[in-house]
Amino acid sequence: MAIDQKPLIYLNNAATSWPKPPGVLAAIEKSLSLPVFGSGRTTGTQGEDYITKAREGLSSLLGGVPPEHLVFTHNATDSLNILISGFLAGIKGECHALTTALDHNSVLRPLNEYGQQHRIRLDIIPFKDCSVSPDAVEASIRHDTRLMVMTHGSNVLGSVQDIKAIGDLLHDHGIYFIVDGAQTAGHIPVDLESLPIDAFVFTGHKGLLGVPGTGGFYIRDPEAVAPVRFGGTGTDSFSLLHPRGMPERFEIGTHNYPGLAALAAGVEFIEEKGIPSIMEKAEKQTAFLIRELEKEKNITIYNEHPDLPIIAFNIRGLQNDDVGFMLARGYHIIARTGLHCAPLVHDAIDGGEGCVRISHSWFTTDEECRIAADAIRRIAGNADSAVGQA
Amino acid sequence: MRILRSVRHKLCADGSFMKEFLLDAPVTEGFFAYLGNFGQVESLPGVGEGFYRFEKPDWFSIKGFSGDTTVEVRFKKEVMDLTIDFVYFLVSSFQEGTVDLSGLKKREQVIEERVRKHLYGA
Repeated sequence: MAIDQKPLIYLNNAATSWPKPPGVLAAIEKSLSLPVFGSGRTTGTQGEDYITKAREGLSSLLGGVPPEHLVFTHNATDSLNILISGFLAGIKGECHALTTALDHNSVLRPLNEYGQQHRIRLDIIPFKDCSVSPDAVEASIRHDTRLMVMTHGSNVLGSVQDIKAIGDLLHDHGIYFIVDGAQTAGHIPVDLESLPIDAFVFTGHKGLLGVPGTGGFYIRDPEAVAPVRFGGTGTDSFSLLHPRGMPERFEIGTHNYPGLAALAAGVEFIEEKGIPSIMEKAEKQTAFLIRELEKEKNITIYNEHPDLPIIAFNIRGLQNDDVGFMLARGYHIIARTGLHCAPLVHDAIDGGEGCVRISHSWFTTDEECRIAADAIRRIAGNADSAVGQA
Repeated sequence: MRILRSVRHKLCADGSFMKEFLLDAPVTEGFFAYLGNFGQVESLPGVGEGFYRFEKPDWFSIKGFSGDTTVEVRFKKEVMDLTIDFVYFLVSSFQEGTVDLSGLKKREQVIEERVRKHLYGA
């Protein structure tokens, strides 16, 4: 199996980042080497308080928000479900809600489910040149619009949205604003203290360099969202009703200690490198990859100026899943093909056929970018003329 | 040649069902030429060690690289129960050189009728 012995070039970081910093692996191992220390759940005192460490680290990374307003969940989708369900629980009757065609199924599906239940009437705002304009948002607002949920950065096009301008105008109309930061946290500066948003969702396993099964959200006013899950918290245990304080209001059951240890270490790594350095390296490599791909006339790039390390493309004459297969089996390059759980983006850019997405990380080397660009260009160059009978 | 096991599977966005099969020997250009007796084969010889894609409309497609022991098979989901055995039969019947296709062709014809009936009712 000679093909399997080649070194792997991993360009699927927008799905799950890999490799992880050595400190992340060490933190997981360390977290499991002693009994877990969970405040209120043990008399043990030797273990490290990873939950507090992760909360404080994230607080610092995300603009100094109160750590107790950062809630840990299983992932971004879990967070979005908690926030959307909890917000709508406080609304009587049907209301109007907004999202965008750039959004992921983690937003689209919960909202459409509530649409089907006649809890909301949903409008989906289209995008142009990879972005949703504040003007388009303003034009979609109605007298009964109560909620807008939108992505901060597109997972297909890598475009960061102007959530400051959009948030300002939503707040002028008293509309609750949930932002999905699954693709931006850890990649670009996010100052939640100054941004006009009500809740910001993150996941641990992408830019924050943690592991799958971790994520969470920041919530400015916890009272605006009803808790929708109830159970043990290790606090106020005489009460048969769920505590309403933060973060217990939204955190139930035993935490994912190894996962949060990894998240704390991932955040520590990001702070150590610094977001400006991370961005600079990503931008340089993105520009290189796009420049190289543009040399091949057979390649259609859908996002020529992404803000995030994400490049979406197709090769004329080849199906995107075939290109993904060729990269994986022929060159040991891991990309992601298909719809990327964002069907409306693909409706707009490629007729719903899907595309190939490559996404690099801090750990991607310049040499790996060069090899990947060569492989993609080679496939495209061959697709141009060589498709024929065997 | 034998299919050792299915290493991965998923339901694709186009409704097809993908299975990745690990074989006991690497596939060759000759293998895909043999598949050409049952459908259409496209090749990109300049990509990697040589990329091949076999398509049997309404049944399945097989893609792989020359020299690789893994192939990806995409089944038309609605008739996968009818066609999956044929993939195993097709692979196990292959040998480099001349292959007697008569048994395979007979089986293909029987399945073809069932597939057509299932998909088009005729």
